Amino acid sequence: MEVSFSKEIEQLRMGAGETFHGEGILAITKALLQSGVAYVGGYQGAPVSHLLDVMVQAKSYMDELGVHVEACANEASAAAMLGASIHYPLRGAVTWKSIVGTNVAADALSNLSSPGVKGGVLVVVGEDYGEGASVIQERTHAYALKSGMLLLDPRPDLSRMVDMVEHAFRLSEASNMPALMELRIRACHVRGSFVAKDNQAPAISTRQLMTQPARFDYNRLAHPPVTFGHEKLKYQERLPAARRYIEAHGLNEFFAGEHADLGIIVQGGLYNTLIRALQQFDLADAFGESKIPLLVLNVTSPLVPEQIANFCLNKRSVLVMEEGQPEYIEQEIATLLRRRDIQTPLHGKDWLPQGGEYTAEAMAQGLQSWSERYLPQTPVAAQAAQWLQDNRERRLAVAEQLKARGQTLPARPPSFCIGCPERPVFSAIKLAQQAIGPLHVSADIGCHALGTFEPFSTGHTILGYGMSLASRAGVSPAMQQRVLSIMGDGGFWHNGLLTGVQSALFNGDDAVLLIFKNGYTSATGTQDIISTPADAAKLVAADKLQSLAHTNQTIERTLLGLGVQWLRTVHTYEVETMRATLLDAFTSDFKGLKVIVAEGECQLERQRRIKPWLAQLLKKGQRVQRVKYGVDEDVCNGDHACIRLSGCPTLTLKDNPDPLKVDPVATVIDGCVGCGLCGANAHAATLCPSFYRAEVVQNAGLWERLVQRLRSRWVRALQPA
Amino acid sequence: MTQPISILLCALGGEGGGVLTDWLVEAARHAGYPVQATSIPGVAQRTGATTYYLEIFPQLQSELGERRVVLGLNPLPGRLDLLVSSELLETARQVANGLSSVQRTRIITAGNRVLTTQEKMQMGDGRLDEASLLQVVQQQGQACHVLDMAGMTREAGTVVSAVMLGSMAACGLLPMQRRDYEAAIGQGSASQQASLRGFALGWEAVQQQRTQAQFLAELLPEPPIADAAPGLPETWQREFPAALHEVLGHARARLLDYQDQAYVDLYRERLRQVLAREQQTAPAECTATQEVARWLALWMAFDDIVRVADLKSRAQRLERVRQEVKAKDDDVLRVYDHFKPGLPEIAALLPTAWAQRLLQWEQRRLARGLPAKSWPLKIGTHSVIGMLLLRLLASLRRVRRWGSRYAQEQSLIEDWLAAVHAGLQQSHALGLEMARCGRLIKGYGSTQERGRDNLLHILQHLGSAAATASPEDRARAIQHAREAALKDEAGTSLDQVLQAHGAPARPLKVQPILWAGRRPRGLTQ
Repeated sequence: MEVSFSKEIEQLRMGAGETFHGEGILAITKALLQSGVAYVGGYQGAPVSHLLDVMVQAKSYMDELGVHVEACANEASAAAMLGASIHYPLRGAVTWKSIVGTNVAADALSNLSSPGVKGGVLVVVGEDYGEGASVIQERTHAYALKSGMLLLDPRPDLSRMVDMVEHAFRLSEASNMPALMELRIRACHVRGSFVAKDNQAPAISTRQLMTQPARFDYNRLAHPPVTFGHEKLKYQERLPAARRYIEAHGLNEFFAGEHADLGIIVQGGLYNTLIRALQQFDLADAFGESKIPLLVLNVTSPLVPEQIANFCLNKRSVLVMEEGQPEYIEQEIATLLRRRDIQTPLHGKDWLPQGGEYTAEAMAQGLQSWSERYLPQTPVAAQAAQWLQDNRERRLAVAEQLKARGQTLPARPPSFCIGCPERPVFSAIKLAQQAIGPLHVSADIGCHALGTFEPFSTGHTILGYGMSLASRAGVSPAMQQRVLSIMGDGGFWHNGLLTGVQSALFNGDDAVLLIFKNGYTSATGTQDIISTPADAAKLVAADKLQSLAHTNQTIERTLLGLGVQWLRTVHTYEVETMRATLLDAFTSDFKGLKVIVAEGECQLERQRRIKPWLAQLLKKGQRVQRVKYGVDEDVCNGDHACIRLSGCPTLTLKDNPDPLKVDPVATVIDGCVGCGLCGANAHAATLCPSFYRAEVVQNAGLWERLVQRLRSRWVRALQPA
Repeated sequence: MTQPISILLCALGGEGGGVLTDWLVEAARHAGYPVQATSIPGVAQRTGATTYYLEIFPQLQSELGERRVVLGLNPLPGRLDLLVSSELLETARQVANGLSSVQRTRIITAGNRVLTTQEKMQMGDGRLDEASLLQVVQQQGQACHVLDMAGMTREAGTVVSAVMLGSMAACGLLPMQRRDYEAAIGQGSASQQASLRGFALGWEAVQQQRTQAQFLAELLPEPPIADAAPGLPETWQREFPAALHEVLGHARARLLDYQDQAYVDLYRERLRQVLAREQQTAPAECTATQEVARWLALWMAFDDIVRVADLKSRAQRLERVRQEVKAKDDDVLRVYDHFKPGLPEIAALLPTAWAQRLLQWEQRRLARGLPAKSWPLKIGTHSVIGMLLLRLLASLRRVRRWGSRYAQEQSLIEDWLAAVHAGLQQSHALGLEMARCGRLIKGYGSTQERGRDNLLHILQHLGSAAATASPEDRARAIQHAREAALKDEAGTSLDQVLQAHGAPARPLKVQPILWAGRRPRGLTQ
């Protein structure tokens, strides 16, 4: 990747007493080093990508400390890496996006949790839940429960988060349980500060090697019959040990309040929002002093029964604020109270929304019902009701105002970048379907999933990262036409090669696979993969403007090696060639797996390379050519067929300058990188002839300028006004 | 109780929202106020909507001593203090989400739009009405600053985030001083200098309410028509009602430019007849004629390669391109035009009998599954040969009249005008709606073909006298059908409307499909 994290790396070096200012996820990264972590791995994905990105770039510092960093092929390989801590006192941390990453890692996590760990293990999961999430809405909590892992959900305060990382390793070691730490999107991106400590170089490390492997110990294998013993260990020894540690070190926090006969139990990650909600009804002040006693669970699994029971005893009621469904914590508390015959009324999901992010407004709904019953002498319920009603009324008023004027606000989903190499392929797919009829398209995770949005609206299913070819296996045998599977190179290496390609070849499936070879896992932040153009190729490329995806042939060689017989590589911007290749794949007599590699380097990465290069050339006064496309406003027919085939952010509309015409005309605004799609589409789709390609040469040579001058004199003579 | 100042920033991916957040955090820290920020970047390098949320506590940390403020991570609807946005629709979206309130929220928004794909991809004009958005935004805030952020950004040569920072700093809500913000930006590099310029522009814009009012006034009314109507001869002025004069001025100039005086006379004669017919039905009306005046002129100046070559080879066009691509005087500029003429375009210029033979040959080829013949060309309009070629094509204007396309268009125009006449005879409303259907004709190739087929189908099935409904009902049906015809390329909406009004859906078009279907298993192959 071309992004530099040098500033962030500097912050990782901070010593005791210095104040760290920055994002939550970077604070966590620093905390790992303060905890003496020996190895770090993971798979990129919002909102935790930065943890790994920064560590990978900080290689020389990591080598100094002796910390091994690995960019794993997928979450399963990251989780398997944690096996190092089964036998050896190594602290290990991995990271990924949850719930999807945890799903992929589940097998290794189960097999890790069963024998248990000697060195502390921490999995930092980006909880992709609520506003801004890009995956299915499920809870990671279930994994902690079923596999017997610790689950930490710290208050989104940088100092507390850092403390909790350090505790997590110790807690993991005290209980032999792997720990998960869930960080919500907003917590990962929270900008705050904390006072740093010195980093700890691990005792065993890439600098301090072990001389001997551990002795053979069947008990540490996840293999019968010892797995039966592991299961007992989980509840007989590990959970009690974890509970003792949590209680002894005060990981969960108790805050007293004037209404001592009431209480709220809240997940740590929701604490700030709860305080802001309570403030609205004068139940808390700016410093978090709450009038209602709070039990803040920085560790949400396991719960400490004594702690919960003591908190609930002698209270008129306890309210549980637990985000997501089902309400595991509330159910466990209910069971616990019932078993101990504690009669404190318990509320939670009966009054709070079942699903969705717990914003202050969601919390206010619960607080309203709860205070109506338990704080009837205060104005809290009335205030909450008023606030909620005002919100409803305001929204309704705006909706009606817009409706009266015939307006609905269109969504603005993300779209392919300007000049993205994947956009032209969707143009070609749209055009190809004009010739062969509609296709079933099996889509995938990655930037190309943006092809499911307008103007392409292409794709029937998304079954997971790298799953598009596999998810077609049941469709194509029952379909007359062949099925198109779309996969990115990220997905191909993450999973698709084995679950899709290998399976299709083994079963002799008649399938069509289109692989976007843009050279990076772009959707997660353009991380490098095995098929990324090598630095050497970037260095020797004379023309820095060109795509370098072709310089790495790992995907093609792998496919050929596996036995793929029908393989075509097409440059993505050649829309007509891509259309013809798709038609070929769909009409060919060849009955096996047909693979089209759509080659074109990620434009984001290219631009990050190109911009400084051009700036440098201009500074030196050297020749620079830039390309921009444009639309002739008097030729454009105002039908916008070009936009329906592109959706490029720089291809937009403006008022028709022609006083007789009414429909707005297309226009290309600043920012166009001259990728060529407009021209390729105009040809492939026979659009109206309004597009032009302009090449502007700055600092042209003497000869070039002379030719231009002569030429324009002639051209001018030919032109009418 | 002192509460934190809550700020929601809306930006589109790539507009520097993250940098803006960092600046604000840095400025607050510089001044010594407790601050916290967070964001929902999503896939932020792209152009989706993103938000950033900040809370700043307006009491100095030094006064608070050891006490730590708890700051929130989500905006509270109605309790927001400041909503800042670089795009008008995104501002309206947050307002529609109920975030701002009259009691509390100050809004600083760009008056500029960045159109969404959904708006852009419509066949007609799918853009939102800016006045409605502005109205919503202005009514739901305690105070509202509408700024030309895009203009200031261009002027300063920076990213919109700098302008946003300046406008926030100047609005008087935040406790930091100007020097705190400027310190956060820094001043070493060229980009920092540009940011400071943008900051200053944003600052001044909020301080000068007057300029805002002017910008608003420019924004609200319909954009003025680009050219004033060219002069209209007195004979025309006497002949046609004043309401038509402006359109007629443009129409006359267009057709003269397109063909010749005789063609202009033909237009005038056609329009005269429509006006006469309209005044028989409704003496005080001229709306139908007005509609015909516009659409007839555009239809008669139908687009063909001659016209395109002419437009693309004018000197003023090259000048316009130069400006659009921001080429400086000493830059070398090369312009290539994308053309893809097919047999129909060539046939258009041939006499009808020859054209038919050529197109029949093409039909036979298509039926055999061969692709349509066409020639993708990239012509260098900056070059002598390219320009010669275009001028040669443009000069074919003189023979246009003998071409098959000319004959065909004239006959279709006559069909349409006859329908308008017939409609006017029955009721004014019906004639008017038929006249408005002229809008369906536009463009080239398949776009033009689709519009023509839709028009003919509507006129035939909803307009004809055989239909049982009253003329007023039919007028309404035609209006619905016309609107539906502009909704989707496939014509699904149009078919639905046609059927709802008792007319048949459009006939299926014969189209060769490459078929590679597989047989069910078990059958012998």
